[in-house]
Amino acid sequence: MKSYQYFIDYFKNAPAIIQVVWVMIVLFMVIITILIIYLKLLRSRLRKNEKIVAQYQNEYESNLITYLYSGNEEEEVSAEQQLIVDKLKSCVPDKFKRRVVVSTLLRLRNEISGEMAESIQKLYFQTGLINYALSSLKSKKWYVVAKGIRELAQFHVKEVNDQIVIHVNNPNKEIRKEVQLYLVTLFHFEGLKFLDVLQTHLSEWDQIQLLEVLQRFDEQEIPNINPWLKSKNDSVVIFAIKLSKIYNQFEAKDTLLELLEHQHKKIRVEAIQVLSHLQVYEAKEVLKNKFNELSLEEQIAFFKLLENVFESSDETFLQEHIQHKNFEIKVSALKIFKLLNIEKFHSFKRLLSAPKDAEIIEFIENN
Amino acid sequence: MSDAKKIVLAEDNSTLSLLLKFRLEKEGYKLLIAADGKEAIELIGQHDPELILTDIMMPFISGLEVISHVRNKLNKQTPIIVFSAAGQEEMVLKAFNLGANDFMGKPFSPNELVIRVKRLLR
Repeated sequence: MKSYQYFIDYFKNAPAIIQVVWVMIVLFMVIITILIIYLKLLRSRLRKNEKIVAQYQNEYESNLITYLYSGNEEEEVSAEQQLIVDKLKSCVPDKFKRRVVVSTLLRLRNEISGEMAESIQKLYFQTGLINYALSSLKSKKWYVVAKGIRELAQFHVKEVNDQIVIHVNNPNKEIRKEVQLYLVTLFHFEGLKFLDVLQTHLSEWDQIQLLEVLQRFDEQEIPNINPWLKSKNDSVVIFAIKLSKIYNQFEAKDTLLELLEHQHKKIRVEAIQVLSHLQVYEAKEVLKNKFNELSLEEQIAFFKLLENVFESSDETFLQEHIQHKNFEIKVSALKIFKLLNIEKFHSFKRLLSAPKDAEIIEFIENN
Repeated sequence: MSDAKKIVLAEDNSTLSLLLKFRLEKEGYKLLIAADGKEAIELIGQHDPELILTDIMMPFISGLEVISHVRNKLNKQTPIIVFSAAGQEEMVLKAFNLGANDFMGKPFSPNELVIRVKRLLR
């Protein structure tokens, strides 16, 4: 009691700053205690949820395996399979259980192929899970729509293509990304037809993801990319340029040459790089004739192209640029000279006597 | 059943493990399931299986370490089939260098796996 009174007196007589510090200490201690209790409760809730999920998962896993192995050739759905379908059907209206069922099906669907993968898809239809995914497409929440599309892609549901395609130009970029991945995952190169109607920007990340999906497929026969190279959507043009490089679309050569006149520099530079990769000799003459009108990036890209398609007739042009102020152009010109006319290359040692130039020549000579 | 050939399956996807257990037990093999590489090494030490099926990416100890343990520490020539996902080509090469006998890229057909298992246990 005495010590309690002592603290009260001490607090009352203490300077204002000390009083504020004490109040702050007590306040923080209360907050920390509340937070510790909250975190404890949250953790135990999460643990409990994990246990429930694991429990349901075990149950659904064995149901799924039984379903997969209880089929027979006489009936489309055996009695045992029907029992499991009915059981799962009764679970799916519950959002929590539905999530566990879907994740259990997907865990296996992603790992196996063949008849069993088809059976899992069949079960997805039979249990009515597809209806929930389809209804999510009409949701006002973007993440619900995106998740629904992703689920349909994961279960390879091609039949609902029409309902997905309408979201191609959705204002939300996550929805657009899922639509694109759905189309390409399920329809491979044919799925790229969405590029015909895409009005929104196809980000670099979207492009990487699409290319990553495409490279999983064995078939390499890609549709005509010329319309995409002529698209009004610049990001589509850039993506088409990437496709023409990765899949060596020499057939698109003429359209790629037209892109050298494109109004955007980035596209012109990328076009030069692809023409270089495809070793299109025509591009060399076009660019050589208007070299001085090109931007520096285009000039550098052109010299890289020249490294692939040089001829002895280019000697005069190259000689004009061995003293170019840009390092990359100078290196490219000298590199080509080394291959084209070694004697002349050696004669440059006298011409380019500055220490930096001498270093460049020495490097090229030894590499 | 006691004469059944033992197979250790190291796979962190419990649904896939269960499916393969059913499928391979139907073919007359005895399956010992490990949820990670650590459990797999324990099972291999305890049961000396005739075949090992292992995923490459697993918690605690990877499939590569399991192969290395069998080949270099236990000095056993037990046939090993590795499972790999797309994009793990380098891992598969490492697995072969360490002594794996075969590999299957995910997603794979369980029926094809049975054929490969039978071939290796002939």
